[in-house]
Amino acid sequence: MVQAQRRLTTTEPTGSGGGATRRRGRRLPLLLTFLLPALLLYTVFIVYPLVSALEYSFYDWSGTKQNGFAGLSNFHDLFTKYPLSEQLWRALAHNTVFFVGTMLIQTTAGLLFAVLLHRSRRGKRFLQTAYILPHLVSPIVAGYLWSMMLNPQFGAVNAALRGVGLGALAQPWRGDPHLALPVAILVNAWQWVGFPMLLFAAALAGIPEEFHEAARVDGASAWQSFRRVTFPLLTPVLGIVTVLTFIGNFNVLDLIYALQGSQGNPAFSTDVLGLLFYRTAFQNPDANAIGQSSALAVCMFVLIFGVSIAATRFFRRMEARLK
Amino acid sequence: MRKFCTVIAALSVVLAAPACAPSTKSSGDKVTLTVLSWRPEDTAGYGKIFASFEKSHPKVKVNFKPIKNTEYLTVLPTELKKSQGGPDVVQLKPYGPIQSLISAGNLAPLDGQVDVSKWDPTVLQAAKGKQDGKLYGVPYAMQTLQVLYNKKIFAEQGLQPPTTWAEFTAACDKLKKAGITPLSTSGLQPWVLAIDHQIFGATRYGGDDFAKAAVAGTKNFTDPDYTASLDVTAKLKPYYPDKVTAVDYPDAQTLFTSGKAAMYPGGSYEVGPFTKSNPDLQIGFFDAPPAPGAKVDHPLTSGFVDGSYGVNAHSEHKADAIELAKWMATPEFGQLYASTLKQISAVPGTTPGDPLLAQAYQNFKAHGATYMMVVDFGYGNPLGRDQEGLALQKMLGGTSPADAGKLVQKGVAAWFKPSGG
Repeated sequence: MVQAQRRLTTTEPTGSGGGATRRRGRRLPLLLTFLLPALLLYTVFIVYPLVSALEYSFYDWSGTKQNGFAGLSNFHDLFTKYPLSEQLWRALAHNTVFFVGTMLIQTTAGLLFAVLLHRSRRGKRFLQTAYILPHLVSPIVAGYLWSMMLNPQFGAVNAALRGVGLGALAQPWRGDPHLALPVAILVNAWQWVGFPMLLFAAALAGIPEEFHEAARVDGASAWQSFRRVTFPLLTPVLGIVTVLTFIGNFNVLDLIYALQGSQGNPAFSTDVLGLLFYRTAFQNPDANAIGQSSALAVCMFVLIFGVSIAATRFFRRMEARLK
Repeated sequence: MRKFCTVIAALSVVLAAPACAPSTKSSGDKVTLTVLSWRPEDTAGYGKIFASFEKSHPKVKVNFKPIKNTEYLTVLPTELKKSQGGPDVVQLKPYGPIQSLISAGNLAPLDGQVDVSKWDPTVLQAAKGKQDGKLYGVPYAMQTLQVLYNKKIFAEQGLQPPTTWAEFTAACDKLKKAGITPLSTSGLQPWVLAIDHQIFGATRYGGDDFAKAAVAGTKNFTDPDYTASLDVTAKLKPYYPDKVTAVDYPDAQTLFTSGKAAMYPGGSYEVGPFTKSNPDLQIGFFDAPPAPGAKVDHPLTSGFVDGSYGVNAHSEHKADAIELAKWMATPEFGQLYASTLKQISAVPGTTPGDPLLAQAYQNFKAHGATYMMVVDFGYGNPLGRDQEGLALQKMLGGTSPADAGKLVQKGVAAWFKPSGG
């Protein structure tokens, strides 16, 4: 991911002459010494769990006891055995809705705030900080906070609506199967909107003012200038934001867990892959919980990794067309 | 520079080496038994209880090690997998959730070691292996399900605990008119709805007779009596809190303890926390009267075993651990447990210290029923309890009882094989 990010942001070619290579060769032991601690941690905490999850997914389990090699039967169970077969597709659909909703609301709002703040003279710092603040709160805290505010009995949201005479709009926000997921998307956007805003703001600051001046001289309106000059130049950042949002949204667990519990209440209407994994691994009465949950983890990894790579390639091509 | 590199290299080695301090469990000739539990709130109580064991077993010291209940089930398999230094005695969930520990060989069988000759077999079922039928734990507590009510509100409204369904709904109507939520419950949590169904619907589906028929496979969950019992529960919607499907479990508890709701269908385990959060709250119990069309003509007090204590198969002090498990099956432990922790002990011949619980236990013994979805249908994915709760959530949203029954049947049939006959 970091690599993808670097590829997207690097615009200057990185040339390296023969001399540099020779020098680097001699410095290899030193470089390794510096890389070793991080590499060790990375291996122990990232590579090893990934590989072991892959291994686990091919075995049959009785609790923590590994039985025989099971081939693809865990994957087969995942796609054919009720309730997993039903929950998997439902959760995937919810993740997709969550991602699309987040892109529409959070990314659009982030871009809007960034553009407005870029133009504003006063209160820029304050507003920037204000928008980024929820980002600093743990998703678990944000989730519990909103679950209390959205409480139909004691919550502030319905109380406020009733207080201003809009009692008819008071809803069971977390309890209506049709509202629960949109509400989760909004809460998530409330928390993360500062992130795309910051990235867009940085990119906006990097666009030379001359471009806009040239557009103005050619008689472009403010909207035309944004649509034809600013927005295309934001493509690299949009790519990063899209890919990072995708990864974050498809791995989401903590916020939904805090808002709706491990079962994605009500009636699984907010169930996502992260929650399904949590339940399959830790709340599964099936003795083969480790096998099934590892298979699910492998599928999630393949999906997220695959789509991220494809999306990164796509945005790189878009970017190349700009030059 | 080289020195710096050496330091970095040395640091990385230190960082990577896991902190593996050898666990010293025996000091002198005294043996320390570690008891793993999900009840941090009971630490002081267990301290008192185990002091009594230590007195009669001077060579043993019991170390009560609680882990947060939300993390316990994640931690337990790892703790039991340790080849050494693991806990000796562990608190176990009842029925289904222990099966994977048993099949992994994590628990020591206790048959022939612990005296349970006087115990009710249905109680022991909670700690038995489904496959091998062996006993892997000593059940410690029973829970009963009934309607809790606020005595003060009932007195103010001139109400008595209802004995017929008509009286019950009349009381609900009266409370509602007075601006009090009649029944506080959580429609957001499937497991809470399943408990509501057991409390209000058990008489309608026929209690243990139906459960036996369902286990044997002569009846299933599309049975009209069962779907009608789901309907009994869903039809109480007007008496539940406003927008009940958005009401979470803690909210439902708060509604009752804050005096905004008059009744709370729930377990005996709620009494302790309720009294703690509002010491002035005067709680009474009653059993839900037989629902319209009930197959059983008297109220039923449903019950289930809360859990058991088992012995780690890899315990380094297995003989002493089994000695402790043996003691946990004696009336001495049972009575201490019941009085100290205000619970209904699973040991036969004990009486709960709390008068309210004593009454609940008496009711259970007189006209008890098993909490079917946990006791009989809690052994596979999805748990019967969760599937029933899901069906009820759908019914609160307008699904028909027949469709809800089909959904429950579909979930249970995913793993349950009828015993036949």
